[in-house]
Amino acid sequence: MNEVSKTGNVFYTFKGLLLKPEVSSFLIFIIMFVITATLQESFFTIKSIVRNINAFTPLILLAMGQAVVIVAGGLDLSSGAALSLFTCVLTTVMKRNDPVTGIYAILVTFAVAILVGMVNGVGIGYLRIPPVIVTFATSYMWLGIALFLRPTPGGESVDWFRAFYKIDAVAGAPAVLKTIGTFIPPALVLLIIGCLLWFIISKTRTGRYIYAVGSNIESAYVSGIDTARTQMLACIINSVFIFLAALFFVGQNQSGDARMGGPLTLKSIAAVVVGGISLTGGRGSVYFALLGALTLSFVNKIIFFANIPNAYQTLVSGIIIIVAIAGPAYVMFSKPKQ
Amino acid sequence: MNTVMSRPKFLSFRIYEKYKKIVVVFILIVLLFVFGATTLPNFLSVEQVFMTIKLASFTALFALCQMIVIAGGGSGLDLSVGYTATITAVLTASIMDGKNEPLLLAVLIALALGVMIGLANGVLTSYLKLPPLVVTLAMADILQGIVNAYVAGKAITGRPSPILVTIAAKFTGKFPNILFVLILVTSITMIILNKTKWGQILFGVGANERTAYLSGINVKKVRCITFTVSGVLSSLMGLLLLGNMGIAFKDMGSNYVLPSIAAVVIGGVSLAGGEGNYLGVILGAIFLQTLTNLLIAFGLGDAGKWLGFGIILFAMLSAYASNRRSR
Repeated sequence: MNEVSKTGNVFYTFKGLLLKPEVSSFLIFIIMFVITATLQESFFTIKSIVRNINAFTPLILLAMGQAVVIVAGGLDLSSGAALSLFTCVLTTVMKRNDPVTGIYAILVTFAVAILVGMVNGVGIGYLRIPPVIVTFATSYMWLGIALFLRPTPGGESVDWFRAFYKIDAVAGAPAVLKTIGTFIPPALVLLIIGCLLWFIISKTRTGRYIYAVGSNIESAYVSGIDTARTQMLACIINSVFIFLAALFFVGQNQSGDARMGGPLTLKSIAAVVVGGISLTGGRGSVYFALLGALTLSFVNKIIFFANIPNAYQTLVSGIIIIVAIAGPAYVMFSKPKQ
Repeated sequence: MNTVMSRPKFLSFRIYEKYKKIVVVFILIVLLFVFGATTLPNFLSVEQVFMTIKLASFTALFALCQMIVIAGGGSGLDLSVGYTATITAVLTASIMDGKNEPLLLAVLIALALGVMIGLANGVLTSYLKLPPLVVTLAMADILQGIVNAYVAGKAITGRPSPILVTIAAKFTGKFPNILFVLILVTSITMIILNKTKWGQILFGVGANERTAYLSGINVKKVRCITFTVSGVLSSLMGLLLLGNMGIAFKDMGSNYVLPSIAAVVIGGVSLAGGEGNYLGVILGAIFLQTLTNLLIAFGLGDAGKWLGFGIILFAMLSAYASNRRSR
């Protein structure tokens, strides 16, 4: 069979290759990359690369976290609300004039992040409530708590927190760090931390279990995997990714906002889908969520260059998400029956 | 032999299960009212109770859309209900402009919009097999985007026609008129779901897709229809909301999305599909409204409302999930 397809019609081999989600999502990424690069004249200057990385980082981190949960057979509708909650906690604990409170804030927020992941994990893994519903419910819990802490956007932040956004902006930072910071923005460091985190986890038993549970929870359970614990760990990993995004956000804006993250939830799911990761779980590479998020971000940039008025952007992004999800499905179903 | 013997037992068990959840919700409502009556003055006055029921009616009607989609199974869920209502209200307000004559036109526009939106949801979810959650969320985005673009740079003009105001906002004596609508809708729903083959088909598809398919039911078509019905009903709800509020605004319907799902869950309807008891859902809506009233009366505002909703929903889901857990 293999022989035939190799020596036979090249076109079918090509089409078969295109049907692989990874290949098609990589191709879409390349196309969007090229279009953006041609539209933006200064695309390849360091300044604009840094600016782009800063603009894309929150979505990339959220999408990677989302991908971990989706691969484990879940879905997180609360990730945007959790991001808002973390920014509110960070800016509530911090006091502007006391640099030490920054460290307290990071520790407290990290604990909150673990707790948030555990609550989602208990719902999805141990209670086995449909992930969509339980994270929908928790998203309103996070929104409620965030509104308690910060009814209106604002809050305090210590000065050195800007280091998560731009080392230049921190008064009294070492000159060496400042020089490095102009080439390697902190956002990139956060992204690398995220990728390393998943790289390490994917090499451990937990990483394999996450894929096993996602592809077939019954057989994973029968094989002796603690499926509930695995799904909870996936939720906690997701929470850590969101925590990284929150650090960047507070570094950038120096404030917390209870309603800021909402729109990012759907985008993160869309990024995962565009990255070729199956929503049914167990299939796809978490790193491809990064690619999907980049593709979506480039599309947003293209919309921006096309001079579409602000009022139409929600509309356009909604349509793009539908097309992005429906496109691969259409290709899959138009495949000739074997 | 065995199956014939076990059937009545099975049926009575189901009826018991059905009523058990309704009784639980009813007790919860009574507890809330008792708590409210002991801590707040005027909480149990006739006006206050009818006001609660009036506000709950809107949630209950939105929850009907949700229940029909959920009953169809396949992890069906319609997160675009509130947004469909918003777009209908915004677009029809200027057409009606406080007069009764254009009401028919407004209703026709509402129907057309509802069919279009519902059909789009249905085709994308059932024929292209996309996850309902993502599709309806994206649809919500698109609808809100259209509304944003429509209202950008200008005020939304127009008022509802007096007939709509009478139906949705006014009272007959102390009795809110919207309650008549709810009673009518409830009776029709109960008859269709329990006495016609449509109800059986819907629950059959929701309970076991494969069995329904093998019995010759067009599963995709049924699910597509549930989304269309949900779209039409929520579009008509837009008219009623407009009648109740008197003006149209950008996010008049979006606040009903979570309560509509919460009411279905609290009403004891399984989110796995295959069942639906609208009376329970109405009680769920009343429970949520009473809870909201209490939270607002205690001055907890938006934060308390969403946190309370989230916790109650989570608790209910956990309680119902524990019945179903096998390991």
